[in-house]
Amino acid sequence: MLNSHQRDALRELGNIGAAHAATTLSTMLMSNIEMEVPEISVVDIAKIHEHVGDELSALVIFQITGEVSGGGYLLLHIPKNSVIRLTNAMLGMTDLERDLTEMDESALLEIGNIMVSAFLDATATLLSIIMLPSPPSMIIDMPHAAFQTILAMQEFSEIDQVVIFRTELRSDQHKISSNLFLLPNKPMLDEILSMLENLMK
Amino acid sequence: MPGPDEQPVIVGIGEFHAGKNPMSSIGLGSCIGLVIFDREKPIGALAHIMLPDSQGRAERPAKYADTAVIHLVKELNKLGCRTPSLAAKICGGASMFQAFSGNLNIGERNVEAVRVHLKKLSLSIVAEEVGGTVGRTIVYNPAENGKISVKTADGTRKII
Repeated sequence: MLNSHQRDALRELGNIGAAHAATTLSTMLMSNIEMEVPEISVVDIAKIHEHVGDELSALVIFQITGEVSGGGYLLLHIPKNSVIRLTNAMLGMTDLERDLTEMDESALLEIGNIMVSAFLDATATLLSIIMLPSPPSMIIDMPHAAFQTILAMQEFSEIDQVVIFRTELRSDQHKISSNLFLLPNKPMLDEILSMLENLMK
Repeated sequence: MPGPDEQPVIVGIGEFHAGKNPMSSIGLGSCIGLVIFDREKPIGALAHIMLPDSQGRAERPAKYADTAVIHLVKELNKLGCRTPSLAAKICGGASMFQAFSGNLNIGERNVEAVRVHLKKLSLSIVAEEVGGTVGRTIVYNPAENGKISVKTADGTRKII
């Protein structure tokens, strides 16, 4: 589904997006952010559970809109314990043994909006197009349940393999880990790949 | 007979498993975990259904409600189960998102389709845990007479 050139080009594109997202997170937390090299995986739908599990997490989910065909989603995934540390770090609180509250949800929506806008801005600038995030949808539940529901939506239903882009962003100081996922459907992936090809000519 | 500690077979999206050993589907959202089991012996099958209608597609029969129901019954017949002894349990079919356009009620449509196709084969649904807005992980162990353990993200566990 992807040759090695396409993989490299996508990884570079994602790297630029994720680096911008990491910078915004770093500013908000006033802390260094460690960023892993993005993984690009072509995954059979039957094996999605090897990439995302069922541990309680917060997911802030954006649909990608703008000057790009097809459809795609950006997801900010943060496991429950990291969500609590993240809100605590932002609001100067220390209680780690609490449940998630509305306060966490609003902090996450805010952080998600800022990080995802930075990601899309940076990638769209590189491609010389405009890409915008939809208003976010948030769920606090099992990541696999969210992924499969996204895949079951119309634009993904015809296919059995998906391209998953994932970058891990961590604050070792605050022990916060998070993942940014990009899930483009086939038309969006094809268009982004052809734009990247033109760029490299 | 499999021991209680045996690792379940993981049934991914669009897959199925039939037999006597424990089986599990992780993080069902809008998808359905359909269990069809024999009421007289410790054999059953699990399908992880993603969409209501195959629209004639023949590959991956467990991915679609219409083909999955027929496929599981055939597999169980092959293992020596008689169709009149079979019964079904269904889990999943949640609505995980409120905000997006597209197939919003996909979970509901999956549940409905599974019901219709079970009815066509006169299979009754003896227990269900469907709908709502929560993800579910299920473990089915045929050795325990069709019992399914249903876990939600907050850690709640329920046996149906």
